[in-house]
Amino acid sequence: MAELTLRSVYKNYGEVPVIKGVDLDIGHGEFVVFVGPSGCGKSTLLRMIAGLEDISGGEIRIGDRIVNDVEPRDRGVAMVFQSYALYPHMTVYDNVGFGLKLANTPKDVRDRKIREAARVLQMEHLLDRRPAQLSGGQRQRVAIGRAIVRQPDVFLFDEPLSNLDAALRGDMRIELARLHHDLGATMIYVTHDQVEAMTLGDKIVVLDGGIVQQVGSPLELYNNPTNLFVAGFIGSPRMNMLPGHVDDLIDDQVRISVDGASLTLPLPFGSVSKGDSITLGIRPHALVVSPDGPLSGTVQLIEQLGNETVVRVRLKASELTVVLPGQGNFVVGSPVSLGFALADIHLFNADKKRVRRPS
Amino acid sequence: MRTAAPNTLVARGLIILLMIVTLLPFLSMLSAALAPQGTYPNGLQWPADPQWGNFVKAFEVAKMDQLLLSSALIVLGVVPVAVLIATMAGYGLAKLTTNKYKWLYLVFVFGLTLPFEAVITPLYYEVRALGLLNTRFAIILPLIGLYMPFGVYWMRAHFLNVPHDLTEAAQLDGATRWKEFVLVQVPLARPAIMSLTILLFLWTWNQFLLPVVLVQDPMQRTMAGALGAFQGQWGTDIPLLCAGSLLILTPTVVLFLIFQRQFVAALMQGAVKG
Repeated sequence: MAELTLRSVYKNYGEVPVIKGVDLDIGHGEFVVFVGPSGCGKSTLLRMIAGLEDISGGEIRIGDRIVNDVEPRDRGVAMVFQSYALYPHMTVYDNVGFGLKLANTPKDVRDRKIREAARVLQMEHLLDRRPAQLSGGQRQRVAIGRAIVRQPDVFLFDEPLSNLDAALRGDMRIELARLHHDLGATMIYVTHDQVEAMTLGDKIVVLDGGIVQQVGSPLELYNNPTNLFVAGFIGSPRMNMLPGHVDDLIDDQVRISVDGASLTLPLPFGSVSKGDSITLGIRPHALVVSPDGPLSGTVQLIEQLGNETVVRVRLKASELTVVLPGQGNFVVGSPVSLGFALADIHLFNADKKRVRRPS
Repeated sequence: MRTAAPNTLVARGLIILLMIVTLLPFLSMLSAALAPQGTYPNGLQWPADPQWGNFVKAFEVAKMDQLLLSSALIVLGVVPVAVLIATMAGYGLAKLTTNKYKWLYLVFVFGLTLPFEAVITPLYYEVRALGLLNTRFAIILPLIGLYMPFGVYWMRAHFLNVPHDLTEAAQLDGATRWKEFVLVQVPLARPAIMSLTILLFLWTWNQFLLPVVLVQDPMQRTMAGALGAFQGQWGTDIPLLCAGSLLILTPTVVLFLIFQRQFVAALMQGAVKG
C-alpha cells in the first residue's frame, strides 16, 4: 500500500497532446476512479502510472520513489485489464501464481498465497481450469486474483467490468468494493460508466480532453459540479441544461430568463453581469410537477419504470427530462408545469464554469 | 434446401474426380512397381503376379537406409535451427520493433519473391568459396537461409495476432522480455511452430534441386535428391525405378498421415492470415 502523486504529467503522441498536465494526489488505501468519455485519456493515464506508456513530461511518484523511468515490473503495481489478459495456455492456478513464480517465491509460499487468493475470490474450484473454460465473471476473478497475490502497493483496474453483462457487473462491483475494504489497498479504477464511478470511488477524477475537470468525492461532484462537463457527465439521467441570459441585477439578486421563463435568484454581486449568457442546470430528480412552476411545456415521452416515471417534456426551445417518483398518470401531448427548489439549481457562465450556487 | 441437393452431388462428384486425378499416378506407379523386372508395364493394369520383392531390391540397390540417415541428418540440421531463428525473428519483428524499423520486415518479404532457381548459381559459388561443396552443410546452411523469409513471415503473422495485453500483463507480472518470450509467447505459438516445422520438414525432405547441384555424392543428399542418381542408374528398369520412387515418397506420406490435422491447420492458418 502506498500513496501516489502525479505532478504536471504530460503525454504526447508525436505532436498530439493526450494528457495535458495532470496533478493528482492519491492517499494510502484510497479507491480512486478515473472517469470520462472515450478518448479522454483516462486509460492512458492509468497506463502511464503502470509504466506501460512513457510519460512526455512531469513526475510520477509511488510512495517516496519517482518511477518515471522504472520498469513496470519494478513499480510495485498490479493491473487488471479490460480483456482480462489471462495466459490461455496456463491453468487458473498457474495464471494466478505466474508473478510469484517469476519472483522466485518458494513453492510452498506460492501455493499458500494462490490458495488464499482463490479463497478470497471464491474460485478454489476453478484452479485446475484453463481460461477458455471459464465464464466472463470467473475470468475477471482470476485476473483480480493474479493482481492480489503479488501484494502490490497500488492496484490498477482498466475498465475491468465493461465486458460483463449488466447483472454480473453489479455483482462484481459489490465484490470489488468488498475486496477494497478487506485489503485496504490503494486502488485506481478506470471506467466510462459514471454509475460505477459513483458507487465504487472514495474519490472521482473526471477527465476530458486529457485535462482533469474535477476531483472530489462522488457527492461533491454530484452536488457541486465545477463546470458544465462534470455536471453533464455525473448523474443519471444527465442534468438538464437550459440556455438563457441575465436580464437584470438587483442588489444581491439576479433575474434570468431561460426558455421563456423568468427567474429571480440570489447571487453574490459581481459573479455575473447584465446581458451575460448563462446555462441553468437542473437534475431530472429535482424537478416536480407544480401548477405554479416556472417551466411550462408539453409531455413528449413517458417511460414507466415501476418505481419511478421518466417524462420527457418539450419547452419552447428545449427539452427536459423529469424523473418523478411512483407511477405517474401522464398523457403524451398534455400540458405540464414544472417547478424546482432554488437550492437544487446549478448556474454556469458563458465559460461553462459554475457560478456560485444560490443559497 | 431442395436446390442444395444437386449442388452437393456435383460438388461430391468433382471431389471424387479430383481424388482420382491425384491418386491415379500413384496407383499407376504402384502397379508398375509390382510388375516383373525387365518388363515395360503401362501402369494401367494390375500385374497378374505382383512382385513385392521389387521394393526390397529397390531398398537395397538405392541404399535406402543410408539415404534415410542422410535425409534425417539434413532435416535435423535444418528444421530446428530454421524454426528457432524464425520464431525469435518473428517475435522481434512483431513485438519489439517500432515503425522506424518496419523496413527490416520488408527485407524478409523481398526474400519471398526470389525463386530457388534464381539463387542457385550464386549459391553454388558461395558454397564452393566456403569449401562446403559435397558436404551436407552445402544443403543445410543455404536451406536455413532460404527458409527465413517464409519462416519469419509465418511466425510474425502469428505473433502479431497475440493480444498486446498479454505482453503487458507479463511485464507487470515481473517478466523480462526473454522470460515473456519463453514462458508466454512460445507456448502460445505452439500451433504456428508446429505448422512451420511440418512445412519445413516436407520442403527439406523433398528438396531436390539444391542437393543435385551442390552435392555430388548421392549418399550425402536428401532422398529426393538421390532419386536423380537412382533414375540415372536404373532408368531403364521401370519396375525398380517406380518401387524406389514410392519408397522415397513413403516417409513424407507417413508423416502426413500422422500429422494430418496439424498439416491442414497449417494450410488453413496460412489462408486466414494471408
